[in-house]
Amino acid sequence: MAKLLVVDDEIEICEFLKLFFEERGYQVSTAQSGEEALRKLDDQVHHVVLLDIHMPGVDGLMTLKEIKGRNYGIKVIMVTALETRDKIEEAMRLGADNYITKPLSLEYLERDVQEKVAQLARSGKILL
Amino acid sequence: MIFYLKKRKRLLAKITVGLALFFLGAGSFAVFSFLSRKFFSTHWAEQSQAVIVLMTLISLLAYKPVDRWVTHFFNQYLFKKKSYAHLVLMNLTKELDLIFDFQEMANLIVNTFGEVMNLKTVALLTASESPGQFEISAAYGWPLSEHRRFRCSKKSPLLLMIRTGGEHVLVRNQVAKSFTWQETNRLLHDFDRLRANWVIPFFVKDEFVGLLAFSAFDPERTFDDNDFYFFREFAGMIAKNLYKSQKFLELKRYNDQLQDAQSRILQKTKLDAIEQLATGIAHEIHNPLTIISGKAQVLLLQSDKKKNDSRVEDVLKTIVKQTKRAADITRKLLMFSQSSGAPKEEIQLEQVLEDTIALVSYQTSLDGIRILKTLDHKLPPLFANVHEMREIFLNLILNAVQAIGTEGTIRVLMNYAKADELIEIQISDTGKGIEPENLGKVFNPFFTTHHSALGLGLFVTQQIVHHYGGSIRVESNPDEGSLFIVQLPCGDISRNLTKDKRSSGISEGK
Repeated sequence: MAKLLVVDDEIEICEFLKLFFEERGYQVSTAQSGEEALRKLDDQVHHVVLLDIHMPGVDGLMTLKEIKGRNYGIKVIMVTALETRDKIEEAMRLGADNYITKPLSLEYLERDVQEKVAQLARSGKILL
Repeated sequence: MIFYLKKRKRLLAKITVGLALFFLGAGSFAVFSFLSRKFFSTHWAEQSQAVIVLMTLISLLAYKPVDRWVTHFFNQYLFKKKSYAHLVLMNLTKELDLIFDFQEMANLIVNTFGEVMNLKTVALLTASESPGQFEISAAYGWPLSEHRRFRCSKKSPLLLMIRTGGEHVLVRNQVAKSFTWQETNRLLHDFDRLRANWVIPFFVKDEFVGLLAFSAFDPERTFDDNDFYFFREFAGMIAKNLYKSQKFLELKRYNDQLQDAQSRILQKTKLDAIEQLATGIAHEIHNPLTIISGKAQVLLLQSDKKKNDSRVEDVLKTIVKQTKRAADITRKLLMFSQSSGAPKEEIQLEQVLEDTIALVSYQTSLDGIRILKTLDHKLPPLFANVHEMREIFLNLILNAVQAIGTEGTIRVLMNYAKADELIEIQISDTGKGIEPENLGKVFNPFFTTHHSALGLGLFVTQQIVHHYGGSIRVESNPDEGSLFIVQLPCGDISRNLTKDKRSSGISEGK
């Protein structure tokens, strides 16, 4: 079963994403901050992270840098709202696998997550 | 009687002089005979030879002063024509204090001077706006078009002579005396160009600022020392007033510039305020919109669809669509504040236009709107941000689509003006046009005549175009459609490109 981590300081957003993806057979955990996300990634194996760029404290970009630095071998999809293009480009440069803009199109997001999971499965990092 | 006297002025003056001399002679004779009888007790003074000698002596001695005095008396008190003219001109100089408009002042000076002095032509020469040049700012008795065309360099012989000679009135027939014939010829040529027999120069603070050139109907007419003295006084007053009005004009120009700058600052402040407000609101609103839209989508995309009937599904779809629309608005609001940081690259505008048309083609085909393109094939690449260029095309085309409604044509024309290094984009429609009173407002933020539009499209377009140093304008008549013209400078990039091509050509040659 593919494991998802949703990171957003807005708890409601975490909740509906959890609801949506659990209904589609994913195992979903949530985190409200960068620190919490990193802790959860240390504790448990995850495959795909949905990471909000704009967060108080350790923001999305710093979290992304940490994740890619620790080399968990997981896919990160950045969630952006009104960030400037250079921020998005910075995220892609730091190794983000894709980005999606708020308000989210869940259909598009689901396809993207499926694709990332399929990539992991092909490289043998995940057993479906 | 007065008229008759004026005609015989000269004769009358002579008679007056004769009478005055006679009375002077008789008076002196009376004094002499009295003195001789009293002190010398002789009667020699009563002899006729003595009378004649005395009278002759007195006539010889007193003729000149008496004549001058009588002439002065006549001119000053009995026949005041000239002094009347002088009086009017002095009053004119007082009146000029209240006039600030340079042109009005110049016209008044030449007309009054010409009429009062009964002259054929008068021209007022002053410094023109181009440095080192003088032009006629007002003329009397000149053909209208001719004095407008008149130009004179400050190095012309006449002006050079005035600058070295100072404030003297110049008389055409007298300037020639101390020059060689070539110099004289050139000087006289200047006089002829000004149609002048006399020239009164104006000086302010020892600096030459202009002159009054004039000629009389009668070529033999002369002015006396009295007149010349007056002319110099007059010139002093005129010069001060002209100087004043020129300074006033300058001040007015500066004031206009200042007001212009102020209104631009005001506009900028307004935009800054909108930007701040927009950024704040956009960020605050975006997350709630995401939650609303997200939860609606969770319900909409539920795997167990039987629970929802079609009405609920419609409602959910509307929620998702409308939240997306609200989010788009906030994004658009932010767009113009972020445009300066957008990365630029070399792009082909034709390609951007094709992409944009492809984007709207589905909608336009449904509404029966045709889009016709005419492209200049020699369009150079543009160094710009592709999203911003697409935004320009999209906004203008969507604007045209809105103006048309259904059934119509949009024409897109792209040209490259090589001389000006400009790419010109014209987008015209056959829509309902713009009311004249709205023409000035279409680029204002939040201005719209369409109930469902936000009024930011053209504003954002204008911001982007201005950011690239370009211009955008609109021409429109109600019911005849509108034409938007965008000009984007592309000089730098094409110059760089040709340079690159040239250098690569050389390396290939090796």
